[in-house]
Amino acid sequence: MRSENELIELLNRDLNLLSVKKLRKQNISIRLENEELVSGLNYLKSHSYIHLATISCVDWIEDNQFELIYHLFSYEDKISLSVKTKINRQKSRFVTIKNLWGVAKYYERDIHDFFGIKFTGNDNMDELILENWNEIPPMRKDFKTRQYVDKKYDWRQYHGQE
Amino acid sequence: MNNKYESNKWQEVINWVQKRSLFMLHYCTGCGAIELPPTMTSRYDMSRFGIGPAATPRQADILLITGYLSTKTLRRVIYTYEQMQDPKFVMGFGSCTINGGMYWDSYNTIKQLDKYIPVDLYIAGCMPRPEAILEGFLKLKEKIETGNADGYKKYNKEYETYKKNQEKVLGEVKRRQ
Amino acid sequence: MGKSKRTEMFFGPNHPGVPGNYGINYFYEGDTVVSAEPNPGHLHRGFEKLMEEREWIKNTPLVCRICVMEPDINEMVYAMSFEAIGEIKIPKRAAYIRSIILELARIQAHIFSIGGNCGAIGLYTAMQWGVLTRDYILDIFEEITGGRVYHIYIRPGGVRHDIEDVTLQKILDLLNDLENNRMPEFQKLIFENPIAQKRWKNTAVLNQEDALSLGVTGPALRATGLEHDVRKLMPYAAYDQVDFKVPTGEDGDAWTRLKLKKDEIFQSIKIIRQLVNNIPAGPVSLNLGNALKYKIPAGEAYVKIESSRGEYGYYVVSDGGLKPYRVHVRGTSTPLGLYGVETLLPGCRIEDVPVWAHSLGICPPEFDR
Repeated sequence: MRSENELIELLNRDLNLLSVKKLRKQNISIRLENEELVSGLNYLKSHSYIHLATISCVDWIEDNQFELIYHLFSYEDKISLSVKTKINRQKSRFVTIKNLWGVAKYYERDIHDFFGIKFTGNDNMDELILENWNEIPPMRKDFKTRQYVDKKYDWRQYHGQE
Repeated sequence: MNNKYESNKWQEVINWVQKRSLFMLHYCTGCGAIELPPTMTSRYDMSRFGIGPAATPRQADILLITGYLSTKTLRRVIYTYEQMQDPKFVMGFGSCTINGGMYWDSYNTIKQLDKYIPVDLYIAGCMPRPEAILEGFLKLKEKIETGNADGYKKYNKEYETYKKNQEKVLGEVKRRQ
Repeated sequence: MGKSKRTEMFFGPNHPGVPGNYGINYFYEGDTVVSAEPNPGHLHRGFEKLMEEREWIKNTPLVCRICVMEPDINEMVYAMSFEAIGEIKIPKRAAYIRSIILELARIQAHIFSIGGNCGAIGLYTAMQWGVLTRDYILDIFEEITGGRVYHIYIRPGGVRHDIEDVTLQKILDLLNDLENNRMPEFQKLIFENPIAQKRWKNTAVLNQEDALSLGVTGPALRATGLEHDVRKLMPYAAYDQVDFKVPTGEDGDAWTRLKLKKDEIFQSIKIIRQLVNNIPAGPVSLNLGNALKYKIPAGEAYVKIESSRGEYGYYVVSDGGLKPYRVHVRGTSTPLGLYGVETLLPGCRIEDVPVWAHSLGICPPEFDR
């Protein structure tokens, strides 16, 4: 069982980290380059970080980048580790990790539905939660919900309201 | 014999019998469905009013829309409504059917139920208590007895308006009976 | 005897046996499922986009509508992530009250789930008992918070208002009644019933390596022998001040999972008694200023708690403004409801598909959001 500082030393020694930060007790986040991410996750999986909670995506529109975050957890160290990487917003393409964790297929399909990122190697990118969606992916920051709703649906008219 | 007088009397008898035996389709569409099991089971018993659950749309009288409808569910609800036999009644449940409710600015939920299928009665609340649901059922029974619950006749008469509203939101809706 | 034809079946959104508005399309031959595919998305409301358009305090009544059976867990995780980024420490009495509310929510969710499982195999008496017993707990919630289902009671900084001693005594009386009168009747009707045992033993088996590689947590993982519980791994609220056991099982089938739920009800009763008897006096909420202008510094947090079905987590990113920048919800049953249907359902018989869905605790609004 490692403490947070021992884990940070181990990761600094064995991986090529861009940055590492201890956010609070039992919660650490590290950042890797795009090309090193799959080998980094493989290394962590063999060092007791076997639980993949979820994959999240954040849209940083001013920097013109998407950020992908993989949340891992170890039952032995009891530390929650977030592995982050940034990709280009125009190209919006990344590799799949379905060979490490099979369940990542559905997390990546969900991110494709809402952000429009393509994952090479994952052959099923059909719509999962939306149906017949023709606009830009809805979770991007340039999709304005209120304008879309005003255009498509009509509001109820009450008496005395013009 | 005056035919109109005879058919009125038959209609009164039919209304009297129908309001005492209503079958509700068991379709939990939104988050208001969590208050249906307490209404159906022994504490706020609804079968003492003659209302029971039915499994398929072909055998049901009442369609209860419990809460919000996403566009994916709206398509299935339209298919279900068109499969039910006349006379049929629709109750809107919760404030999401009235004006969009809590998710008024969401891109995926509809804002008024009235534009897509005809509604006979609304029950306000978020979410309504079981006692409010039972009071709604009693008002529906009064409406059936006086012959005012005629949403299904309106759907048949104004079919083109409803179809236009449905296709504006959903695209193409394939009708199969 | 020839081979049977491969037929498609829509175990669709309108079905009394499915736990929520959710579809499974599967192919079967004879009596056994051969391949299956999930059909989610009927309950999608776009929560994550709605939360970015409202200020921090305005999300509190919105967030509890994500999981309908147990709404308090959402309020708790949202408040915890706000306090984690802003480094705010809540008063002790508020921590005890939050734990009492969460444990009462766990008991009512377990009772409802046991009733739902019995309804899936046809034991309708137990379903009626389950819904009725849960109603008495909802009466307590109505007295504390004002609402039966959606409470909106836990918010950043503490809880909304105090609990009186009269209500604490009512909670203890209800727990005595539950432990001495009602749970023995459940035991006789459900757990000593040979027909229910025959139906549940060796059905919907989930073994340990499948569970760990999918990311399954909660009773479904503890039924395979591991003792992992977020209340012990990363303690929150007042769980480090009480003494309780985490029950485990061996076989990983539906029978073990239901027995675990019953054992957890007894452990929760023990926890609530310790909390009520040792609750300290003091304020129940911090004064963080004007509620419409809450602000926390830029940062991020991944916070998780133990709901009645497993680990429930939020990932919140703040950029120092009046509204959240990004909130991502990780529901408990996301791996099982989506990927588990593809890999674990083939091999099951058709009449066991509702048993599979109910006993693994699939709750569709969590992954549709």
